[in-house]
Amino acid sequence: MYNLCYRFTGNSAAAEDLSQEVFLRVYRTLGSYEAAYGAFATWLTSVTRNLLVDHYRRTRRDRLTDSIDQAPQVEETHSTERTPHQQAEAAELSAQVQMGLAKLSPELREAVILRDLQGMEYGEIRKVLQVPEGTVKSRINRGRLELARILREMGVRAS
Amino acid sequence: MDWNCTVTEERLSDFLEGTLALPERDACAAHAEACASCSEILARVGALVTDMHALEELPEPSHLARRIINNTRPTPRRGQEFSSWSGWLSLIWQPRFAIGLATVAVTAVILAHAARPQLSRLTPADLNPVNLVRAGNRQAHLTYARGEKFVNDLRVVYEIRAMLASPTQAEPGNQGTPSSGARPNTSEHEDETQQRSEARVERGSMVWAMLFPFTDEGAPPSANRRTP
Repeated sequence: MYNLCYRFTGNSAAAEDLSQEVFLRVYRTLGSYEAAYGAFATWLTSVTRNLLVDHYRRTRRDRLTDSIDQAPQVEETHSTERTPHQQAEAAELSAQVQMGLAKLSPELREAVILRDLQGMEYGEIRKVLQVPEGTVKSRINRGRLELARILREMGVRAS
Repeated sequence: MDWNCTVTEERLSDFLEGTLALPERDACAAHAEACASCSEILARVGALVTDMHALEELPEPSHLARRIINNTRPTPRRGQEFSSWSGWLSLIWQPRFAIGLATVAVTAVILAHAARPQLSRLTPADLNPVNLVRAGNRQAHLTYARGEKFVNDLRVVYEIRAMLASPTQAEPGNQGTPSSGARPNTSEHEDETQQRSEARVERGSMVWAMLFPFTDEGAPPSANRRTP
């Protein structure tokens, strides 16, 4: 949940608040969950997504006053299997992807995050976003193209 | 199949994820070989997807779990606190509790009234632990002695009652009227009556002897009291 929130907002403090809000909402509305809706993880992602959409709408005015080029915080990942050089590269790539995601439209951003960062299937994404599967595929495709274009404009070279 | 740059962009994800049918995949690959722009797009987006799949999950802040637990833990609200107090009041606010309380109060008043004279004579020395132990020991021995005396007295009383009751129970058997229904003669009847009265006197003197044992002078205490 924290990863999803952070990838969508690009802000660790907001991601923490939203993660907490997700669990509070799940705690209050656990009785409304039905197995027919799908896996619990899918329902949990759906709750998170709704909160992220609310958060996006709530903070739209704040973002208009902020600098578009403001770099998001870079959170380092520590892995014992990677060398320090690889870890630095991974952290840099993570930050660049995060910056590119921040410039995507919310619809394309959430689709790309759910598919490529959360590793969800198209059917699960369809349930979370509550749109037809064709729309999901279309958003993911456009989101990838747009993100690749943004990263190219940022000077990020493909690995 | 007519495959162009627009179709390549539209079916890009399907090509990268390998969900295109074989003829479409061949057409896409053939177009990419001929079109530098589409080839560059395919390579760039493919690398991006690979990179994103390889990205590790970001570690959650260490304090986040504790923060969530603290905020999801239910805290008692003011209304709930009042309801808990009212629950206790509902238990107390009952007739049987009032009756019990009144009984305890009356008992306390009686005990205080009974203990007041002794309390007024209480001195600091009485609070000395040694004196308290001695007083307790003395009171215990007195209680035991009184109990023993009571039991002995009770035993004597029952023995006396048994001795007084036994001749009256035996009398009907002794009277034993003849089966012929003939009346006994007068001399025998008088002897029997005299024997019974003598036995009664003897038992009475035994009872007196048990109740009032003889003193050293050999006279019963009652006699001494009569002739001081």
